[in-house]
Amino acid sequence: MKAIKLTEVLLYYDGVQVFAGQDTIGGHYVGVGIGPGIVTNRYMVTGAAPERLRQFRSGLLDLRTLLLESPEGEWFITVDKEGGDTPLFLEPQSGLVGECDCLPGPNFTLDDSPIDDRALREARERHNIVFEFRLQPPEAAAAPRVRADTLAGLLQRLQTLLKCAGESVAGEMSPSQRPVDAAALCLMDVVAPAAAGSFRVLLEAAQPLDTFGPRLLLRALGRVDALFATADDPEQAAELLKPYPPALTAAYCKLLQFLAEQQTSLWYAWAEPTCRDASYGGISAATAQLLTQT
Amino acid sequence: MTLYREPLPEDCPPPQAVEIDGPRIVYRLVENDPPADADFSSWRALNPASPTRTASECQSRGVSVYSRPRDVRKMIERSGAAEAWVCEVALDRGAGRIQKTGGRSHYTWWPLADFDILARCQVVP
Repeated sequence: MKAIKLTEVLLYYDGVQVFAGQDTIGGHYVGVGIGPGIVTNRYMVTGAAPERLRQFRSGLLDLRTLLLESPEGEWFITVDKEGGDTPLFLEPQSGLVGECDCLPGPNFTLDDSPIDDRALREARERHNIVFEFRLQPPEAAAAPRVRADTLAGLLQRLQTLLKCAGESVAGEMSPSQRPVDAAALCLMDVVAPAAAGSFRVLLEAAQPLDTFGPRLLLRALGRVDALFATADDPEQAAELLKPYPPALTAAYCKLLQFLAEQQTSLWYAWAEPTCRDASYGGISAATAQLLTQT
Repeated sequence: MTLYREPLPEDCPPPQAVEIDGPRIVYRLVENDPPADADFSSWRALNPASPTRTASECQSRGVSVYSRPRDVRKMIERSGAAEAWVCEVALDRGAGRIQKTGGRSHYTWWPLADFDILARCQVVP
């Protein structure tokens, strides 16, 4: 009997709902809970092409379509009895996957990505503001990797966005409080690029936390959160962006354009040492494409 | 001594979980309308003998909630369940502890035993 290892939880809700897995020879699979009930340990599993799985992760492909593309219509059931890190044994099912009444409804896409509490842990350890982001570009479909151009392009656009956010925050301050060079105060350094086994990137405030710079940076990051929050309502995004200065919205739009062109989602978390919870934000490649077309 | 709705292991909820000290709205998928106690059972309560796979034992004894109702609606659409609704839960002081886990709208909530969940939740469209 075929066995796979769960490699990534793609959706968690009272247990694993959707996951990615791999067999011993590197084949990729996707599994989805099939109940009965929402809380389940019974999953429908199909093979999945790495690029199609990446597109699903990026919100560019819906779950039903991904499952229906299973090679030769083959599909399996697995029941997670052992938990932990044990293999999941796949029981082959007769009939084609398209005939299964356990298929999920159409149009279910991921527009989120699990992020752990690393940003907060790092912020406390480094006693500084830490910003972590995660990418899912096409080259990462089969293994954790990212083109140097994509990484450099993203870092540059992200830093520009932060500088513009910092200048917009500074512009609202009284002249006596306003820093001379707000953009410089929002500089961040890459401190752990492409950490092992991942294409996550960690940035740290370039200036120590007990100076004015990071305090401005905190407010700039809050503004970046507000920009990304407009992606939750794509139809209203243009209207929601209107109150922001043109330079800031232009920097944000350039970043979205870049994400759309590179077909990658961007998910991030940031924290400072004393906060109780990291702040999370981001946008799927599909939403970035939608927003740049309108 | 703080008494939670379900028995929890030592050091659970974790230090990262914050005490709910004011009004806060969260959303949960329920399979009863009106919601019933069973709709707020943890994964562990429903799977007493199963080892957890990815979540910690502590997380498996909390309940999943979202800060955005649309995420619950998506869960319902995905499951294809005919008997599922979005329940809005009005948390407040005394509701227990909550921690950001999973995606950006997903939280794990450990309710206190004295918190009357059913009195504070309603099915929303």
